[in-house]
Amino acid sequence: MINYGNMMHADQFRSKVETYSPKSSPRGARSPVVSRQDSSGTLKTTISLGKNPSIVHSGPFYLMKEPPVVLGESELTGATNLMNYYGLEHSYSKFSGKKVKEQLSSFLPSLPGVIDGPGQSDNSSLRSIIEKPPIVGKELLPLTSVQLAGFRLHPGPLPEHYRYLNTAPARKHKNKHKKHKHKDGTTPQETSLMDTSLDTHEKKHKKQKRHEDDKERKKRKKEKKRKKQRHSPEHPGMPLQPTMF
Amino acid sequence: MGSPLENLETNLEMFIENVRQVRIIVSDFQPQGQQNVLNQKIQGIVTGLQEIDKLKNQVQDVHVPFEVFDYIDQGKNPQLYTKDCIEKALTKNEEVKGKIDSYRKFKTNMLLELQKTFPTELNMYRALRGDD
Repeated sequence: MINYGNMMHADQFRSKVETYSPKSSPRGARSPVVSRQDSSGTLKTTISLGKNPSIVHSGPFYLMKEPPVVLGESELTGATNLMNYYGLEHSYSKFSGKKVKEQLSSFLPSLPGVIDGPGQSDNSSLRSIIEKPPIVGKELLPLTSVQLAGFRLHPGPLPEHYRYLNTAPARKHKNKHKKHKHKDGTTPQETSLMDTSLDTHEKKHKKQKRHEDDKERKKRKKEKKRKKQRHSPEHPGMPLQPTMF
Repeated sequence: MGSPLENLETNLEMFIENVRQVRIIVSDFQPQGQQNVLNQKIQGIVTGLQEIDKLKNQVQDVHVPFEVFDYIDQGKNPQLYTKDCIEKALTKNEEVKGKIDSYRKFKTNMLLELQKTFPTELNMYRALRGDD
């Protein structure tokens, strides 16, 4: 099994075997002469079947590994419910129970402006702060009167192309049910803004119409009343005025 | 005095509000009297930045995962990241538990079968391992 070579004398072999006696070995009956990479391993063998079956020893074989020290109690593994272990059930039930609103604006409701769009589009992404860090380390000082003179502005409203920033963020409940309709490339934000503005315009229009209708009705009523009053004898105080037609 | 994070949040909100007011003033600027207000607001922005800068030392120990930035940059609620993380962890936990349970069953079955086929060797093995 083990080829010690012809060079090794019998005495040497004996003395070696004696020093590595199985009795003195802490591992019992295993041959201590064979050097092993792993103290707990034995020989790894490759067994090939077929016409010429052979067994080839190819390295350490971990059959007798040291038993782990009370597995399951000292070692934390995936066998335990880690959510319980770290006391995160509350967070789990918080997020799994109710549906978390997708938009960033629902997390930061007090933030003005449209914030639900991608940050790359208006160069406001947080990634860009990491990738291209801003100049820091300079002391922040209040502006002098000379520096403030640079902020002297022209009177009047802002030019048209800057005004889009002033648009208020669209209300979520208004565009919620219209989301699926927009598949023509326009972002839901834009369309929702357009929709809401159109909606309000239509509503206003309708309101105006109703208002006008009411006015006409009132006019007609008034005229009827006047006619009645003119013809009735109960209103003598009403001066008869010549009507101009 | 709240926690450092609360302080930072309040300061950031005040700063944003200040900028919003500047935007309103600037959007339809009336020079009569508004120049002074605008100047005050601009100085307010500088003061706000100073305050935020002072608070940075108090929040040095706060670590934010990079992935959260991606969520925010995409206009998504960062709480979705927490939700996704928890769900992923739970799935992985269940997966690993399944594997461990399977290996345990396999070990039990293997020992049973080995006991049937090689009773002497297995007894020796058990004795060596120290589990009786």
